[in-house]
Parts: sequence; structure tokens; C-alpha cells
Amino acid sequence: MLDSNVSVLKLRGILFVTVPAEPGDDLINHLQQKILESMEQHEAKGLILDISTVSALDSFFARTIVETAQMVGLMGGRTVISGMRPEVAITATQLGLSLGNILTALNMDRALDMLEGLEEEEWDR
Amino acid sequence: MLPDGTTHIDGEDDIVYVRKQVRDLASGIGFNLTDVTRIITAASELARNIYRYAGKGRMKYAVLHQRGAVGIELEFQDEGPGIADIPQAMEPGYTTSRGLGLGLPGSKRMMDEFHVWSEVGKGTIVTIRKWKRNN
Repeated sequence: MLDSNVSVLKLRGILFVTVPAEPGDDLINHLQQKILESMEQHEAKGLILDISTVSALDSFFARTIVETAQMVGLMGGRTVISGMRPEVAITATQLGLSLGNILTALNMDRALDMLEGLEEEEWDR
Repeated sequence: MLPDGTTHIDGEDDIVYVRKQVRDLASGIGFNLTDVTRIITAASELARNIYRYAGKGRMKYAVLHQRGAVGIELEFQDEGPGIADIPQAMEPGYTTSRGLGLGLPGSKRMMDEFHVWSEVGKGTIVTIRKWKRNN
């Protein structure tokens, strides 16, 4: 049942995930697990987690995002969070939330540029 | 006029329901999008505290009218373990669970009025208010 609410797409080695608009705790935990399984299954090198439909970010949700990015990092992938709405950015800052050193981008397009740019830098070394 | 009422918080799913209901209330009163988001986020934190610490409780909601100003009042009540040291619980980063310790201090920053009553072994009541800006 939860599965139908979450889709993980893979394109050019990168996972694309859109977080549903009003995610409950179960769905957030399910999303995290599905992302990690997809990392392994698709041998992905990165993750773009789009939160443009999310209208309020509370501390539980933020912590799960940070944890997911850390886990993806342990598996060798980079995470970019894209599409945070202005009102969500204002509220998250007031709440005292921090996304640590997770990369963020205005939208999915920029997030993709970012991940591909990082990959080129790594090749150049 | 919007009705006053009570929403029960018995499980995780009710946190999503509280968010939805607060959104409808706050938008209905005419708060701007940023204030609606602040109120929803504070409600989400406080509803989650009830679920996490007390297991169950309730949110009472009311629309306020005072000297021409319109506001929203949300009261989160539970009969859980209570808070032993309220000033400590208000410190950012302090938590007795696995949380981030942002719920109470963060909610306070986002609202105009914030009040905590708690007695160990009896329960906790957190009351928050936000007034609509006339602009």
C-alpha cells in the first residue's frame, strides 16, 4: 500500500525521488528504506530528493532526510535536496533545523547539474 | 465563522491529520502562507511530542477575536509523564527521547504566545497562539 505512494526513478546513474506532499512517519521511514535498497539495486552514484511538494518540514522529517543522506553517503553516493519552498526555508530556519552539509539546489535541474559537476571534478583529479 | 473543537491524538497518523486540520483552520482565518506554515510546523512538533512522550492526548483549537484582532489558539493536552524541568525542556537541543530537541523552543519562536503547564505524573498542556497581522 505504501509502495504505490513512492516512486524511485533512475536516470544516468542517479536516483530521482519526489517526497509526497503530506508524508506520515510510516511513509517517511518506508521512503528511506526504498531509497537505500534502490542505491544497491541500481548501483546509483547519487540521489536527488525533491521536496517541492512538501508544505511543512518538521524536525522528525528533517532528521530523517539528514539520516538518509548520511546513509546514502556511507554507500558511496551523494545526495542533493531540491525544491525547498520559500516558506519552508523560513520556518525550518526559525525552528533551528539544519541540513548539516547536505547539498541543496533550487530545483531538480540544478541538482542534476550539481551531481554531474561533482562527478567531473572527481574524474579530473 | 469557524467552529472550535477537539482533535484526538492517538497514533502517528493523527499527526498528519492535525497538520491538515491546522492548515484548513489557519488558511480559513486568512493567515499568509508563511504564517500558515509556521503554525502547521509548531502543531506538528507539539502533536508529535504528545505521541512520543504520552502516547495519546488531544489538540483543542479555537479562533480568537480580541479588540478587532483575529487569531488562532491551539492547546495540546496530555495525561502523560509530565515535564520535570520546563526551563531545561525549553533549551534548544535538549531531549529525553531520540528527538532533535527543537520541538518546544522552535514552536515558541514561531508563535506569538506560548505557554507550558506541566506536572510530573499528571500531564502537560502547551498552549500556542498566533495573531493575524493587518497588512
